[in-house]
Amino acid sequence: MDTKEIEERVKKVVSQVLNVPQDSIKIESRFVEDLGAESVQSLELVAAFESEFDIQMEEDAALSIKTVETAIEFIKKYIDAK
Amino acid sequence: MNLIEHFIEKAKSLNRRIVFPEGSDERILEAAAYIGKEKIGQPILLGNKEKIYEQMHNLNLSIDNVTLIEPKTFPDFNQLVTMYVEKRQNISISVAEKLLSRELIFGGMLVSSGKADCLVAGACNPTATLIQSAVLTIGYRDKISTASSFFIMVLPGNRILFYADCAVNIEPDFEQLAEIGITTAYSYKKLIGGQPKVAFLSFSTQGSANHPLIDKVIQAVQLALKKEPAIDLDGEFQADTALVKSVAEKKIKKPSSVAGQANILIFPDLNSGNIAYKLTQYLANAEAYGPILQGFRYPVSDLSRGAKVKDIIGVSAITSLQV
Repeated sequence: MDTKEIEERVKKVVSQVLNVPQDSIKIESRFVEDLGAESVQSLELVAAFESEFDIQMEEDAALSIKTVETAIEFIKKYIDAK
Repeated sequence: MNLIEHFIEKAKSLNRRIVFPEGSDERILEAAAYIGKEKIGQPILLGNKEKIYEQMHNLNLSIDNVTLIEPKTFPDFNQLVTMYVEKRQNISISVAEKLLSRELIFGGMLVSSGKADCLVAGACNPTATLIQSAVLTIGYRDKISTASSFFIMVLPGNRILFYADCAVNIEPDFEQLAEIGITTAYSYKKLIGGQPKVAFLSFSTQGSANHPLIDKVIQAVQLALKKEPAIDLDGEFQADTALVKSVAEKKIKKPSSVAGQANILIFPDLNSGNIAYKLTQYLANAEAYGPILQGFRYPVSDLSRGAKVKDIIGVSAITSLQV
């Protein structure tokens, strides 16, 4: 799966979980500061990424993923390792 | 009998159902087996059943009074998933299933659904993850929107003081500070009984100095009084005014039911709170029990990563008394 596809699917998931329009999500968007997420929603975002990409992320991945870009990097790492 | 022994005796009379999501940690297994055997509570261990059986067998621990639950094979798993989806907007069934396959979230839902009374974790999870999981599943108690923590300080002569927040909120704003004061009063009532007397601390006493940092504390007192007028809370006070009657008599201008007799100290930020508890612990030879989490609808406790088995047993007793 190429980075562009991962990016599109990440944006779709973020849009659903945070209930924000998909076109307002940029690669540099920060979940809390730019997209209005509560910090607790990072756990839900990680679960949504796991469900979307059929991967199992580390328990504390949610603490590291703060932007769309870091989410894509993390997911790519897990997909590549599959 | 020290305070923890007293709490353990009290916990035995309540026999609460305590969830331990970190069922793969040996210290948790030992503590759970002891809690079950001594009837301090009814421990529920989460994790892979086979692995837990094997580990407990290898450690020569009895599982007679311990319940083992593996989230994915739990008969009511789907019911908990449905409850989660109803609670949280925008979360699909498949995402909720992923979430509930994590022990911290599953444990929170056990408590939230009434299948358990309280939760103890943190031996191998970061505090932030535990708090986030508890917020998503158990939620905050009424009038509260901030998770915070307190320490029980037992001074020589058995004088008991509660200190908050010394571990969670780095720089609380006035609204959070007000909530920390109110929640700590609730915690005091539950654990110690008697009348909580909450002092909001600063480097000024009733306007003896002027600074935005003092304004924050004054605003917190006003808001806390508005939210919970029945609780004795006051400030801003310097620590000596809060604790020493003779100093309070000299320094305060308005009558106060707290000055000179505070049993709860609310610090303006984490710097002051954390420094104060450690100074009290080491310079005044006080015993420090905590940090104990507060603010949730049902009790949740955070263990330190280095917690020993006896610490876990003590924290579990304290947690079960907060139900």
